[in-house]
Amino acid sequence: MKIPAVLIVILAILIGTLPYFFNCQYDGKALTLENGRQVPMKCYWTAQASLAVAVPLLVVGLLIAFSRQKETLRALALVGAILGIMVILLPTRLIGVCQHPGASCNLVMKPALIFAGSLVISVSLVGLVISRRSVE
Amino acid sequence: MISLIGVTKTYPVGKGATVTAAHGIELQVERGEYLVITGRSGAGKTTLLNLVAGLTRPTSGQVLWDGTDLWDLADPQRSLLRNRRVGFIFQFPSLLPSLSVLENVVLPTAFGPAHGKPGARERADELLHLVGLVDKRAAYPRQLSAGQQQRAVIARSLVNRPQVLLADEPTSDLDEQTEMEIIDLFARIHATMDLTILMVTHAPRLVTRSARSIEMADGVIVA
Amino acid sequence: MTLLQLAWKNVVGSAFRSWIVFLCVLVVTALLFSTVLVIRGAQDSLRLVQQRLGADVVVVPEGTETQVETALLMGQPVAVWMPRENLDRIAGIPGVAIVTPQLYLASLANAPCCSAEMFLMAFDPQTDFTITPWLSQNLGHELGLGEAIGGSDVFVPYGEENIRIYGYEIDLSGNLERTGTGLDTALFFTFETAREVAQVSRTKAVRPLEIPSDSISAALARVVPGADPRLVALQIVHDVPGVAAIPSSGLFQTFHRQISGLLRSVLAILGITSVLSLVLVGLVFSMAANERRRETGVMRALGATHGAVLRSLLAEAIILAFGGGITGILLAALAIYLFRNLIVLSLGLSFLFPSFPSLVALGGGGLVLALAGVTLAVLPPALRTCRQDPAVAMRE
Repeated sequence: MKIPAVLIVILAILIGTLPYFFNCQYDGKALTLENGRQVPMKCYWTAQASLAVAVPLLVVGLLIAFSRQKETLRALALVGAILGIMVILLPTRLIGVCQHPGASCNLVMKPALIFAGSLVISVSLVGLVISRRSVE
Repeated sequence: MISLIGVTKTYPVGKGATVTAAHGIELQVERGEYLVITGRSGAGKTTLLNLVAGLTRPTSGQVLWDGTDLWDLADPQRSLLRNRRVGFIFQFPSLLPSLSVLENVVLPTAFGPAHGKPGARERADELLHLVGLVDKRAAYPRQLSAGQQQRAVIARSLVNRPQVLLADEPTSDLDEQTEMEIIDLFARIHATMDLTILMVTHAPRLVTRSARSIEMADGVIVA
Repeated sequence: MTLLQLAWKNVVGSAFRSWIVFLCVLVVTALLFSTVLVIRGAQDSLRLVQQRLGADVVVVPEGTETQVETALLMGQPVAVWMPRENLDRIAGIPGVAIVTPQLYLASLANAPCCSAEMFLMAFDPQTDFTITPWLSQNLGHELGLGEAIGGSDVFVPYGEENIRIYGYEIDLSGNLERTGTGLDTALFFTFETAREVAQVSRTKAVRPLEIPSDSISAALARVVPGADPRLVALQIVHDVPGVAAIPSSGLFQTFHRQISGLLRSVLAILGITSVLSLVLVGLVFSMAANERRRETGVMRALGATHGAVLRSLLAEAIILAFGGGITGILLAALAIYLFRNLIVLSLGLSFLFPSFPSLVALGGGGLVLALAGVTLAVLPPALRTCRQDPAVAMRE
């Protein structure tokens, strides 16, 4: 289970850090309200939420690396898969990104999160299958 | 049943040199015999078993099974003979590490016409019961003791209902008590299954239980 | 127990070795498949835009061919002009069935709709054969004053009702299908609307929209059935001074050459990578075969033929090649699909994601290559192993 664990840890780090550099707030863009105040666009909030999902995912990856019990590994793999689904839902349904197709959140952050989330789900499912062989 | 006529086997050992592992072997083994082959390490005992099983080609001479020279057969026929008529117990741990005990025992059925034949698993279970390992069927070799591994190998050697059992130092890595248990198992198998057994050993107590024994030294049968 | 089950057990039992082979195949297949997808997508979009233009000959001011092609493919606006009277001269050339003018304009940078200048294309509804067929099929009516059609990526900003260009509110009536080119971010409206926008921009825009009078940017011509567009193009260049005439087959040649050049370089690199990976796979299997000498000797003793041992070893390789290949192809397809806009921007190529049947065909081809390559790499050590004297193999 070491290799799935390492992959999940790497993906968690990417999910937590990449959105920070590819959102409109980082590019210096913000929404200007009618009263003149500037607020971040929703891609900024998606980036924040990605960090919130990446941290438990990192913990899951580390726990998988050091666990040997079949039942524990199975549960962790399941949690990993669910967190992967959350990573995909954040930029697509739960919060979203900007409309403009040329914005960095659309060009990089959203596809990267969907891709990373898909990988997390796949690796977790593989881990679920492999964990059947693990012995206490 | 089995005849070795003037069989010699030399192996190349590099730089043009050779070593003669067996020289001018003349041996007849009758059906149902329990033959023990003794001798010091390097005497050619393992080579003799390999020659009988057709696992190595004699440099000269003939190995006959029921009058047919093994080496007149093509590889598929020779393999089929080994699969159907020979059970092999090796000197070294020979269970495949990636297979469970049950999967190891049914392994021979993957290679012959018994492949796909129903009843292989049931036969394996029956044999595991015989050798006292039925509760270890799902375990992997690394989880078994040396004695348990050897019992599993014995079960595997019997799965295709062979006529001949070739055992190469089957008790060499075992403690005294386990050795006695294995020896008793062999005696029971020989008595109940109408098998011809050729066993290589250097344990004196095994010699007294057999019908016949031969001694080898330097590749030659000396006694 | 079958040989396939045995092979699967061996794959799972040697986790580290299996992962190396799996990852090698995955990486190489993914890289190769990505390259082929990008190249194919670029070629498909070029073909589609040529079809979409619907013209047999595109006539532009002399020396502006590359600029115009770049505008059409990459959506970078261009300001090129030629006398409107060229239209009559072109129409009079034998072989020309119909000719229609177009105006190429640009929105202001930092307009509310967009983060950069947007390519605006004005057409004459009386003679147009590019946009009008789409209009009748999809909208059911022609574009009126103040109405526009957008490429697939054009949108009305959130909270607004119209797109504002030079202070003029344009009603986005619909969107064209994706082409993977600059046309996807372009806005199309009539000459009348263009003149209206220019008029309004004088008072409402930061900078007015200037449309030179009696000028057009390009003329698109259709030839009569049976006429050769290349010959008609040559005649146009001969008879109409100061223009370049590009037959549709010659459109985007620069980009075609760019794609071919890219293909050659990348495939050369990938070819070397693939060979090295296959060598690694062969080495890994060679090591495995060597470590499992005794095991294969035991299998022979238990009755396995040369062929059975070979089949078992090859089955292991094929399982890993299949798993790595399929995973690589799926990951590559997903990545290219998700990052297609970034690819367009970074490579400066137009790109249209291939259709599902094309994808399946390409993927199938990639998988066959992966299986063939791995089988070839594994065959020498596998043959060596199965031909070994079992007794020698079982010796320490």
